[in-house]
Amino acid sequence: MSPSQPLPPRENTLFKRILKCYEQKQYKNGLKFAKQILCNPKYAEHGETLAMKGLTLNCLGRKDEAFDHVRRGLRNDLKSYVCWHVFGLLQRSEKKYEEAIKCYRNALKLDKDNIQILRDLSLLQIQMRDLDGYKETRYQLLVLRPTQRASWIGYAMAFHLLKDFDMALKILEEFRKTQVTVKPFDYEHSELLLYTAFVLREAEMYTELLRHLDTYEHQIVDKLFIAETRAEVNLFMCDYAATEKYYLDLLNRNPENWAYYKGLEKARRASTEEERLAIYEEQAEKFPKAHAPKRLPLNFLTGDTFRQLVDTVLRESLHKGIPPLFVTLRALYEDQWKVEVIENLVVGYVDSLQSCEKFSPQDADDTKEPPSVLLWAYGFLAQHHDFLGNTTKGLDCINTALEHTPTLIELYVIKAKIFKHAGNISEAVKCLDEAQALDTADRYINSKCAKYMLRANMTKEAEEMCAKFTREGVSAVDNLNEMQCMWFETECARAYHRSGKWGEAIKKCHEIDRHFTEIIEDQFDFHTYCMRKMTLRTYVGLLRLEDVLRQHPFYFRAAKCAIEVYLRLYDKPLADSEEDQHDSSENLNPSEIKKMRNKMRKEKKKLQQEKERQRAQQERKEQHNKARQQNDEVEGPKEEELLPDKLARPSDPLSEAIRFLKPLQMLCPNSIETHILAFEIFYRKDKLLLMLQSIKRARGIDPNHPQLHLCLIKFLRKMQEQKGALPETVSAALETATNGMFSADSLTSLNDAYLQRNGTSLPHAFAAARVMSLLDPKSREGALSLLVNFNGTLEGKDSHVCADIVEAMKSNEFGVCQEKVTEFQAKCHKLFPNAIAFGSPPANCSSNHFNSSTVINDQQPDYES
Amino acid sequence: MSDAVEDQEIADGESDSLQKTALKKEKKHDNVGVADLEKVTDYVEEKEISSPAISDAMAVIGNKKQLENMEKAEREKELARVKIRKEDVELIMSEMMISKTVAERNLRVHRGDVVATLAALTN
Repeated sequence: MSPSQPLPPRENTLFKRILKCYEQKQYKNGLKFAKQILCNPKYAEHGETLAMKGLTLNCLGRKDEAFDHVRRGLRNDLKSYVCWHVFGLLQRSEKKYEEAIKCYRNALKLDKDNIQILRDLSLLQIQMRDLDGYKETRYQLLVLRPTQRASWIGYAMAFHLLKDFDMALKILEEFRKTQVTVKPFDYEHSELLLYTAFVLREAEMYTELLRHLDTYEHQIVDKLFIAETRAEVNLFMCDYAATEKYYLDLLNRNPENWAYYKGLEKARRASTEEERLAIYEEQAEKFPKAHAPKRLPLNFLTGDTFRQLVDTVLRESLHKGIPPLFVTLRALYEDQWKVEVIENLVVGYVDSLQSCEKFSPQDADDTKEPPSVLLWAYGFLAQHHDFLGNTTKGLDCINTALEHTPTLIELYVIKAKIFKHAGNISEAVKCLDEAQALDTADRYINSKCAKYMLRANMTKEAEEMCAKFTREGVSAVDNLNEMQCMWFETECARAYHRSGKWGEAIKKCHEIDRHFTEIIEDQFDFHTYCMRKMTLRTYVGLLRLEDVLRQHPFYFRAAKCAIEVYLRLYDKPLADSEEDQHDSSENLNPSEIKKMRNKMRKEKKKLQQEKERQRAQQERKEQHNKARQQNDEVEGPKEEELLPDKLARPSDPLSEAIRFLKPLQMLCPNSIETHILAFEIFYRKDKLLLMLQSIKRARGIDPNHPQLHLCLIKFLRKMQEQKGALPETVSAALETATNGMFSADSLTSLNDAYLQRNGTSLPHAFAAARVMSLLDPKSREGALSLLVNFNGTLEGKDSHVCADIVEAMKSNEFGVCQEKVTEFQAKCHKLFPNAIAFGSPPANCSSNHFNSSTVINDQQPDYES
Repeated sequence: MSDAVEDQEIADGESDSLQKTALKKEKKHDNVGVADLEKVTDYVEEKEISSPAISDAMAVIGNKKQLENMEKAEREKELARVKIRKEDVELIMSEMMISKTVAERNLRVHRGDVVATLAALTN
């Protein structure tokens, strides 16, 4: 009870009832009791009662009132730990963890041995990864409650997370000694022992680890962990005989685990091809149906042995009709010779199957292969040619296959993929639409089709496609957001980005960012749960995953898209009334503009209808929420609604971009794109030192990267421009930090030298040309001819690079040059006949094999990125 | 030093284990009810353990902690002694776009040399 504002017995009983009601979630009753105290004029300003009333109100969703009451309560009784604790709880529910920690600390100053507050504090500290603070708090909990097991486990884990293994192990051992009666199959005890093993493993105390496993084997339930750990640890300790025994045991459990084979190779110290092959042959004999012992040797075999084994694998798989055959073999394509062997074999099969229905005319066996084998062989060849970049040949193969059997869904998927690689996404969409029509109950095909539609910027169609599988009564997009379906949202964001719908694109990126925040928030529940259930190994794994969560490619893609859009909005902010639409009307003829206007009008009408629908939905939602609140069920703080129009007009786009960049810099420092994006932001902020930082980091990854070259020139130029205007310390720091890094030559000669070094590669030449045009508009002619006259032997001339070049030319980066664009496109068209970015594809490559009943938008995809 | 304490701790733990078994058996009947309760409600009774060796273990923990705290304090003191200028901190904050605490710390680590701090931060 608060010493400064004691309550008389009657009120005190009431106050205790409020606490009880809060614990039992009887918030209405709690409010009644609070009213009874507060209506007494003597206690109308009683601090703790006001605070508790606020906390209860918060649980009923009345947030503003809650804050009012709690603040007033605290002001009236600053010496009360209850008030501080309550304020901390309120901050916590608002996700202001730093603030909450401060409140808890204040509460503890007033009542330093309060277990409940210490526990709440420790939860926040582990959530915020204040490990030192966590250790301190767990120490106090241990001192106060040495008889509770959570005290020990928590304290041991604090040391483990701080990498003080000795202490962690000592505490764990002390605790284990108190566990004398162990029931058979006691999972929690087993997990405790396994956690100790886990710590021993990380401490690299291998002898102790093996002894630990031997001693407690009978109490540990997870036998696979024991076996795998023993095998790995014995290998570390070079006890090869033991390692071999354990890996052979493991292979008996699961002959498909690739790691076991690797372990066995090391245990037998097999180095030559024959020795290694012997291991796999032995296992293949033991497990004739296992796939791994046949596939793995292909990685290291050479010469005739390779040819024989790959021949067997191909024949078996084609005979069975295994769709992912190509995918399993694709890793071998690094070796040019192996590619040729495979091609020759499969082409041989096709010829022979066509003529005599056997894999080879010389086969002694007289049984004929079923016709499906030829079909799969066509399919394989199509993927083979596509992978090697020969899309025309690939399309020929897949068309032959489809003539053979027009109902096999896999073939349409392959064909779509070839079109996608060839740079004709609308044809690819047609193929997949056909595929999903063949089996509308197949969610994989459905999703694939939606994804391709998004690649073709057909967001509306993609949504309709997905709606076949999302919950009824909710819009598909909302449902997919609720389900955290991030691939869909990323592709949407990129589609909007390409179509110039900046607000929509940013909205999607924010949605993805929020999913990640939510996953981190969800951690909270596990801090108490895992400690209680003893799933400590998994718990530590979870903590480590959450630490690097935004490393995930989903986040990377979303952040990249968001940053690019924000940069665009910084360079060309939208006017207040400007439609958030594509500004591509510049190079269209009048009839096209008319068409577009008509389309826009239609879209506007549609949009209006959509808005009305949304409003109706919103109303329904609100009613639903009200009903919910009456049920005493309240969710956390409401997030701000994401409105595309507002998002597209940020007051400070660069700081928004930096918010997305920060996690990338922390978690993806090995990706050069991170530093190039960082550079572009800091370039616009005129932060020379930070530009230099990005360049230095990028150089560490790939000093020759084309985009980096462009960044470097821009940086050096900016440095020269600002030389006089910089603070003395900054230019001195720049001097020190760049010391000897760049030659003192002029930028033009720097660029010339770069071109000299990397002139054999198209992306590098493109970068050099851009620099030429940037440094001196007069040299644009030369830059253009550098690109247009590129020589057929250049490296890295894939269709995306060429499309980027076309885009750059069209945007007049090299001045107005319509003729050159046509010339360049003609040249590319010869190289990439199926890519529509360079001209219409040859007639034989369109998908005329099916009577196209599908409704496809005539929208053309564009290739900005 | 810590080794000696550890040995003692282990010895103590072993001699006490018999006593503990007896204690555990007495409690067992209670535990069944508690376990059932845990299954149906969210409410969890913390399992109690009793270990007379706790005080020894605590002693080890205490010593280690003191040593750690001393080292840390020493390092902090040393850093705190470095004189830094407010303008330098502000310049670092604006040029490198970092928080005040990070800027100050880096400046102290570089003994207040603003040029060296800035140059080092570009790495």
